[in-house]
Amino acid sequence: MIADLVASPGAVIMVVGALVGIASSLLGAFLVLRRSSMLADAISHSVLLGIVVVFLLTRDHHSPWFILGAAAVGVLTVAMTELLASSKRVKIDAAIGLVFTFLFALAILLINLLARNVHIDTHAVLLGEIAFVWLDTTPLGGLEVPKALLTISAVTLINALFVTLFYKELKLATFDPGLAAALGFSPTLIFYLLLSLTSITAVTAFEAVGAILLIAFIIVPPAAGYLLTDRLWLMLLWGGLISIASSILGYLAAVALDASISGMMATIAGGFLVLAFLAGPRYGLLAQELRRRRSRFDNAERMLLVHLYQHEGQPGSQEERRVAALASHLRWRPREINRLLQHSLDHNLLTRGPGDTLLLTPKGRVLAQEVLEPWRG
Amino acid sequence: MLELDFTIRTVALGAVLLGITSGVLGSFAVLRQQSLLGETLSHAALPGICLGFLLAGGRQLGPLLLGALLSGALAALLVLLFIRRSRLKTDAALGIVLSVFFAVGIVLLTYIANQDHAGQAGLDAFLFGQAAAMLPGDVALMAWITTLALALVLAFWKEFKAVSFDPGYSASLGLPVLALEVLMTLMVALAIVIGLQLVGVVLMAAMLIAPAAAARQWTKGLGSMVALAALFGAVSGLAGALVSASARGLATGPLIVIAASLLVAASLLLAPERGLLSAAWRAYRARRNLPQQRVLIDLYRLAVAHQDPGYPVEQGMLASLYGFDPGAVLARLRRQGWIRPLSHEPTEQAHWALTEAGYRQAAELWEH
Amino acid sequence: MLHEPDLALHIEDLTVSYHSKPVLWDIDLNVPPGVLAAIVGPNGAGKTTLIKSVLGLVKPAAGHITLFGRSYREQRRLVGYVPQRASVDWDFPTTVLDVVMMGLYGQLGWLRRPGRRQREQALVALAQVGMEHYAGRQISQLSGGQQQRVFLARALVQDAALYLMDEPLAGVDATTEQAIITLLKTLRSQGKTVIVVHHDLQTVASYFDFLVLLNVRLIAQGPMSEVYTGDNLRRAYGGQIALLREAEHARA
Repeated sequence: MIADLVASPGAVIMVVGALVGIASSLLGAFLVLRRSSMLADAISHSVLLGIVVVFLLTRDHHSPWFILGAAAVGVLTVAMTELLASSKRVKIDAAIGLVFTFLFALAILLINLLARNVHIDTHAVLLGEIAFVWLDTTPLGGLEVPKALLTISAVTLINALFVTLFYKELKLATFDPGLAAALGFSPTLIFYLLLSLTSITAVTAFEAVGAILLIAFIIVPPAAGYLLTDRLWLMLLWGGLISIASSILGYLAAVALDASISGMMATIAGGFLVLAFLAGPRYGLLAQELRRRRSRFDNAERMLLVHLYQHEGQPGSQEERRVAALASHLRWRPREINRLLQHSLDHNLLTRGPGDTLLLTPKGRVLAQEVLEPWRG
Repeated sequence: MLELDFTIRTVALGAVLLGITSGVLGSFAVLRQQSLLGETLSHAALPGICLGFLLAGGRQLGPLLLGALLSGALAALLVLLFIRRSRLKTDAALGIVLSVFFAVGIVLLTYIANQDHAGQAGLDAFLFGQAAAMLPGDVALMAWITTLALALVLAFWKEFKAVSFDPGYSASLGLPVLALEVLMTLMVALAIVIGLQLVGVVLMAAMLIAPAAAARQWTKGLGSMVALAALFGAVSGLAGALVSASARGLATGPLIVIAASLLVAASLLLAPERGLLSAAWRAYRARRNLPQQRVLIDLYRLAVAHQDPGYPVEQGMLASLYGFDPGAVLARLRRQGWIRPLSHEPTEQAHWALTEAGYRQAAELWEH
Repeated sequence: MLHEPDLALHIEDLTVSYHSKPVLWDIDLNVPPGVLAAIVGPNGAGKTTLIKSVLGLVKPAAGHITLFGRSYREQRRLVGYVPQRASVDWDFPTTVLDVVMMGLYGQLGWLRRPGRRQREQALVALAQVGMEHYAGRQISQLSGGQQQRVFLARALVQDAALYLMDEPLAGVDATTEQAIITLLKTLRSQGKTVIVVHHDLQTVASYFDFLVLLNVRLIAQGPMSEVYTGDNLRRAYGGQIALLREAEHARA
């Protein structure tokens, strides 16, 4: 079965895409929670400089130095950005925008000047060549296995190991860096480790999927997970699942439309995010709207009870007067007010009294008091 | 009189226009801390460019730029929607819209490429910019858009200033803050659109930020910042575009961005007041003067506490205060006439007291 | 149509929600003209939200507000706003005089530039807060107290009848605090109404003559001597602060 897998271009592409997604979204979850999404965008651009420099020095496509070069440039990017911002002459958002664009521009310039006749072209930089990942193989256990599959699997494993081993530390450093520092481990160190791994993931994935898919997979699936759940481990899980789904569907769609595979995978991931945004069970737009309507209703009911309580025993508790007053305060239509009244009557908060008046029941009175005098305990 | 190459003239003009608009409009974006919005909008322009190409049936700048503007505007709207209506934070919203829109753009790009290879070459130029591909008609269009943008900034100058500085207060005055903020965001999109041909979608964001960031280091007022940013933008644009047009196979975007970045670095270091070198010099001078000032002030405070302007302070006491023997500093102060040595029975230790002039000088220092 | 024209500020049934939670609930507030009023309450009590609702910066879920009998939109000219200092980036490239002149932008209307007359008005306002010598100074070089005074001058230049201020005395040095209170009392003696969100229970009784106690609901309002009682403070602050005992001593 494995033999079939590695022989089928489509399968290899989908698996590589999915692994890139999982590797990226594992780290991306913490970056998104730390509000460093744009920093991740910055790194995904600037690692190119590391790749180009290492390539020019070693002239070797598969040197292990790439890993080192990537991590170095990633850390350099963030360090330069923070240094620039700490000078107070430039705000942090401008600092981010200035540093990575400069490094990326340098990279492109170097490619233009020195690497033209060698196998890096700027188009490939953005797109990668995921279509061809299955070609470049190496023998392993009697099979010809695509190299990209091996490297990306290794990185995915490393990232998973990192996240598992340092789960508590990552969680704390992300949510409460102050406490983390007070407890004796350095949130800064963890953050730079995270960024180094992001850079390494970037460089490993670059050849396969290019800059676009990378940044999309770092941010989009975790963000969708964030919209779907409050639990960190679930967010990581959702990130992984959405990456896998986007990879498969993206490949199929790209083949059908004869368009960029990486682009399609990223687009599908975006589609999942929109779905989460609209239909997420707790935080989606639909859910919010339903909650808003519910609370509007609840608030109005409380207001009705309070008004009755405040005017208890006074003339003018007639239903008509109350309804009219409520209508003008809330600017509601009569039909909505009647629905409200019916609800209160059904729930034994009000009863109808003689002469068409509305009276509070004991239950209703308690609720009104809760609102008016919350300090009564 | 040098006969300038026609292409180079075209490119130079285009680059200057680019520089002016990015400098001017970028100033507001940077001050409002929307630098990364520029990054998002410029990547988000790609699908619009491709759709413009598809609908116009070819590479015509007008439809391409209109597409870029519309898709940029849509992107800005979505970012806002994500921030306002979900728990997503600003950075995540920006990152999502950036990457997904760009991905859609790439899908369209490759789709077009597979239908029409020539088309792709034309559109590829929008990824990293291609100065040599500029036509005189393109420059004319850029000129119109630049004029529009500058006219808007001139007309709404005080409103843009007020809203950028304090939107809450401006709203209380009755200014239509939301409309003005939308307008300013659209102008960011406009600035990006103008520069796309020369700088490309990937790097255009830098042009929005760099000239403004550089200009900020030199100025005190908004007007001079904007004007200087326009100048810096024009210079970077010109430098990059000319180099790219005269050499073969060099993308324009990176060259312009490198020029602009160098201007930023130079400004950060060399600007007179805000500049880092100038600040370092001032700090050095202060450090050199500090020990003397400090000793003088400490003597003064002791004198005041003991209600005796000529209060004698034992050198050993100062030594334990500072953690080292202040003999050299005391000697300097004595040479300058601020203090004088005393003997204070029954000890043999050196004592120092402020002179009249020294007391006055110390009092003045203390007031600051 | 005028509604309660004798009141500087009249609020009825004001409810403001944020994410389905009420931040202000069923507020009825009546502030007579010519008072120096303080709004106090614990954190999250909705004080800033109340000010913003009056200014139309926040949309209420229910209720309505009138100023001297009319809506805010009709009365803008009569209201001067001093927001919290932290609401602004003080590294903005502009001078002190420039900021004060912004207070006149509403009156200038579209396309007109501030001219000599506006400059003079701004300088007068700066003199009122003792900052006339700082007119050309970059705002990034100001201390906290100086920043506060510039914000005050910006509101003063509007020559309003009602001033709304959000924590103008927070984080300023003692000298500035005295200067500001003196200024506010001068405004009151000129017949203006000043409503201030104040952060400090220790000083509120001596600085102000009208008190509004707020904690999502309106706890109490009225002349300081009547409202500043241990009971009311306890209800507003939930009995959590030791300060209340001191307040009672102060009253005794």
